[in-house]
This record gives sequence, structure tokens and C-alpha cells, in this order.
Amino acid sequence: MNRDSRATVVFNRAGLILSRSGWTLGVWLLLLALLIWYANLIPRFGEFQITSISKNSLPLVYLALGQAIIVIAGGIDLSLGALLLLSNAIAARFMADQPFGAVLVIALLLIGLVAFLNGMTGYVIRLSGVPDIVVTLATSYIWSGLALWILPSPGGGTAPEFRWLFTGSESGIGGTYVLPVLMMIIPATVVFLLSRRTRLGLSMYAVGSDSNIASLAGLGVTRAKVASYALGGALAALAGLATVAITGTGDPRFSVGANATLNSVAAVVLGGIALTGGTGLVLGVVAAGMILIMLNPILSAMGINPNNAQILQGVLIAIVMMIGGLVTLIRERRT
Amino acid sequence: MQVKSKLFLLLGLLMVVALAAAGCALPMETEEPAPEEAADAPEGGFVIGVSNTLVGNGWREQMICAIKAEATASGMVDEVIVVNRNGGPTEQIADLEGLISQGVDAIILNPTDREGLNAVIEAAIAQGIVVVAVDQAVTAEGAYVATNDQTAYARLGAEWLFETLGGSGKVVEMRGIDGVPADTDRHNGFMEALANYPDIEVVASTFTGWDPSTGAQQALDLITTQEIDGIWTSGIDYPVVEQFQVADKPFVPIVGADNNGFVAQLLDLADDGLVGAAVTNPPAIGAVGTSIAIDALLGNNPPHETILTPKVFATDNTDGLNAIYAPDEQVGWSTYVDIEPFTHYNGSADVSACKAPGE
Repeated sequence: MNRDSRATVVFNRAGLILSRSGWTLGVWLLLLALLIWYANLIPRFGEFQITSISKNSLPLVYLALGQAIIVIAGGIDLSLGALLLLSNAIAARFMADQPFGAVLVIALLLIGLVAFLNGMTGYVIRLSGVPDIVVTLATSYIWSGLALWILPSPGGGTAPEFRWLFTGSESGIGGTYVLPVLMMIIPATVVFLLSRRTRLGLSMYAVGSDSNIASLAGLGVTRAKVASYALGGALAALAGLATVAITGTGDPRFSVGANATLNSVAAVVLGGIALTGGTGLVLGVVAAGMILIMLNPILSAMGINPNNAQILQGVLIAIVMMIGGLVTLIRERRT
Repeated sequence: MQVKSKLFLLLGLLMVVALAAAGCALPMETEEPAPEEAADAPEGGFVIGVSNTLVGNGWREQMICAIKAEATASGMVDEVIVVNRNGGPTEQIADLEGLISQGVDAIILNPTDREGLNAVIEAAIAQGIVVVAVDQAVTAEGAYVATNDQTAYARLGAEWLFETLGGSGKVVEMRGIDGVPADTDRHNGFMEALANYPDIEVVASTFTGWDPSTGAQQALDLITTQEIDGIWTSGIDYPVVEQFQVADKPFVPIVGADNNGFVAQLLDLADDGLVGAAVTNPPAIGAVGTSIAIDALLGNNPPHETILTPKVFATDNTDGLNAIYAPDEQVGWSTYVDIEPFTHYNGSADVSACKAPGE
């Protein structure tokens, strides 16, 4: 191969990466732009603000990663917010006044438990053929009811070291940003590698793209479906754990879970993952989650009337969704 | 595979760059020598941040308007930044951190949690920000707290009712939402009063959810099926009075809150035999918090805890009822807005205008 053709190959590959991951890149650039804009809006910008944004983003980023995997595999999970609620309630109830070691054991057990529960949900969906939306809507009421039963009113607690792990500070505020950023990068990397580098992950894409063809091709459709729901559940549990670390308490209120579910879907769409399944990179979802979290302080710093802020937030998400649809349409026409 | 790893590296780098650029390229904390701490006795020009996590609730909206009105009336405030959205402690912590980042001088919040916000509140106080929790208390060290005494709210109203009934009779307790601290406190106050009146019998106890239509339905069921001598409500009052008219039954003594619709009924229907009492639970507690915040910013060292004892306006106090009645406002408007010595605005009209400084 001569130098010229090698250069062409590299150039073509770069072009391919850009066209395939252009949306992901765009979302990260948007986040960067928003960060710089926000930094100029407020009088001081330093470690406090970076820590604040990164740690407050954790629950939504985890939840959105979980939703992303499930959507990629062709499903959608309306119970993720309720699972966040459930794991938040269990964690706050049983971690209170426990030493760090015990808290870590509880955390791991909880991730396993919620992954199992949601894996079962995936299995039921696959087995019964009832649409994902219907089954997960039903389970969302079960999980949020269970959360209220376990923790009837806000309360509970966790170990200070556990709060440090997610927030960089034992009091949950004003710590180093290294930990929350790491706690964001590590799970995101694991989920990304799992989805793009393993047979299981690629089979999720295949199943999400067309489950009949995937089945004919000899791929384990049930396995992919159950695995995607289990992974989504594990990430929802992680989101609940991050919530207890940030607040130091549990809050079993239904509205908290419902909001979280809607935000996770918004982040998935904004992150460039088509709700039809089978496409998209989970990395875009990380930036999208952070963008959604940053909208509130930015709108408030811009002096936008709080009653209009919600409208504006909705309009922004709608615009992004429409742009996403337009991009897909243009791409489909081209091919 | 190589392509993907490169792409991943690129994105990883981008994230690091994003955070680093945001952290470094911009004015850092060190540039500002924190002038507000250096100068003692500031003279106004304050920026007040407000954090509320229940949107679309009339009482809370009036609380925010009272904060704005008092900020304007004080002449000491340049700007009021309101962060208002539905959420729990997670959202409120993020909102409070946002207000700290905006460099506000004081924060007034209606807290979602007694303890969960303490760390962020203490961090704000450590930066020289005055923090006032209104309506519900927080346990954070150094925070100011201004609340309405919910136990006394129920006790004073119940005592008026039991006294009016001559110490004996069948009463109904119409509560709010089960498990909410304010409802628990009010129930305790009701029971305190009840303990002193052995001949009063509570024949029914309902949870209205503080929802007018729910409360109205419950009241209609009760008054058409049972013999009742008096009704105590946790603020769902005017819909209950309406049910007596719907069912064409004679009024029984009723206790409610300072809702405009109820105050109007107490004035208008007195000739038709309505006897009742409005017990105040003012959202103007927000204005009280504002006044305390300004006092603290001026270095006047106000007390850290302010608990307002409710006032009782009964049907025999026509002057008092006329004074708080706000004919231009909605039925759900809380009429008791002027709270001495804290508020400086001019009655319901100013609060209803809902204008912050510069608006």
C-alpha cells in the first residue's frame, strides 16, 4: 500500500467516525459551550462549581446510561425512575449508622438485587410479548409502592465515606471534583466497552435493530433482552446510591421517580440514541445528562422567570429531538 | 477496533478538556478578594436567592410573591433570584449550589428536608451567605428559621370550636395529608385541645389531601349522614361551608384558615347563622424571612428562630375580619399578609402584584 492510498484510508476512516459519531461529538461540544457560557454568567467559577455540576449529574447520567442500553436493545423502561426510588429507599433505610464496609456490601447487594429484578422484567416482556411500555409502567408502580413501604417518609442515612466516594466530600458538598468525575467516567467506560466490544453488547444492537433477523442469525434474543434490562437495573440502582450519597437521606416520593424517568428518556434522545433502537453511542448520553442538569442553573443565572424556565426547557428538548429526527431522515435519504 | 478506541480516547479527552477549560480559562475564585466580608455594615444593594420545590401550589406562590414584595418594600434589595421547580432534596441541593455560585447575599428556602440540606446550607453560611429557612425548619448550624406554629394553629382553632360548643358535642376533624409534618403537628395540637374537653366526641376524622374537591365531597357525605355539632378543618374551609348550602342544612360552627373565600363567608353568611373562626397560616412567612435576612445582612443580629403564633379571627370579630378581607383576590388567597413588625409592604395588593425590585 503506498503512502497516498494509506492517507486516503485514514481520511476515509476519519470521515466515517465523524459521520457515525457526529451527534455524540456535537453533544459534547454543546456541553463544553454551555460550561463556558455558564462560567461567564456567574461571578466565580472554580472547583466548587465543577464538583457541583459533576456530582449532581451522577444520578441522571447513570439512569440515562441504563435507559440507553435498554433502548439500544429495542426496549424502553418507564420503571427506571421507580427503581432509583426503590434503591434510594432501601439504601437510606439500611445504610443508616452502618460502618463503611457494611455500606459497601449493602451497595453491591442492592445493585445485584435491582439488576435481577429488572432482568426478570425483561424476561417477562420477552416471554409475554406485551409491549415494554406497558410492562414497565406496571412495574414502576410496584417499585415505587415498595419504596414507600420500605421508607414511609423521608429519612435514613449513609456512611460519610460513602458520600465522599460519589461527591468528593464526606458532607456531600464542596469536595474535590476528581471523585464525581471518576465515578462518571468509570461506569460510562464500562457500559461503552460492554456495548461495543463484547459479543453480548453487539447482539443488543442487533436485537434492537431487528429482533427477527437477529434471531434468524442465531443470536440469543432473550439473552440480549434480559441482559439489557438487568444492566439498566444495575445502573438505576447506582443512581439511587448516588442520590443517597448526595443528599445523605432517602426520599420515597413518587414524583421524584417519575421526573427521573422522563429525564432519562430526554437524555437518551438528546444523546443521539434513536428510540427505535439499534443505533447510537452511549457516550453521548453522558454529556446529554449533564446538559439537562446544567439547564436549570443556567436559566436561573440568565434571570429567566422560573415559570418560563420549565417551558423553555421543554422547548429546547423538543427542538433537539426534531433536529435528531431531521438528521436521521437526511441520512436515510442519502443511503 | 482501533477506530473505536481512538474515538473513545477522543471523547475522553474532550471531557477532560471541557472540565479543564471551564475551570482554568475563566475568572477563578482567587481574583476576587471577597469584598462583602471585608466591608462591615453594608448598606443595601443585596441580592436574595429563593429556593422553592413545589410549583403550582397557591400557598407557595403567594409565599414567593410575599418575598418579592417585601424585598421591594425594604429598598435594600437589588435583585431577587427565584429558583422554583418540583423536586426533592436532590434538586434542592443542586438549586442551592447554583444560588451560591451566583454570588447571592442571602438565600430564603422552603426546605424539602429537615437534615438533608444542612451540608449545603452550612457551606453557604461559611461563604458569608445569610440563610433563612421559612415555613419548615432545618437543623443546620447558623441558619435562621421562620415558621408558623402548626401545633398552635390546630390547638387554638380547636379550643375556639370546643368553647363555642359549650364544651360538649360531636365534632369532625378534617385533616390534610397523612405523614406530612405539618399535618402531624396539627393533629397533635388538635389532640392537645381535645384532652381538656372530655365531653367533646370526635365522630369522624378524614384526610382531605388539602384538596378542595376531596374535602367538599367528604363534608357532603358527613353532613348528610351524621349528626354533627362542629367541624375543624386543616384549611379546606370554604368548600365545606358551601356543602351546607348545597345540602340545605343549617350551619354548624366551623374552623378554617385565613382563606379569602372563607373570610368572605364568615362576613356574608353571619346573618344566615354561620359561626366560624379563621386561623392564620400566612404564606407571608416568606416576607418575614426576607425581613430577617435583611436584618442579618445589615448586621443587626436578629434571633435565629422566629415562630409565629397564629391569630384567630372569629365571626364575633367583624372588624378584624373586615380588616383582613381582600375583595380583589381569589378565594384561595391567604388574607393575613401584614405581619408586624416584619413586613413593610402595603397589604394584599402589594403581595398580589408580585413585583421584585426592578420588575
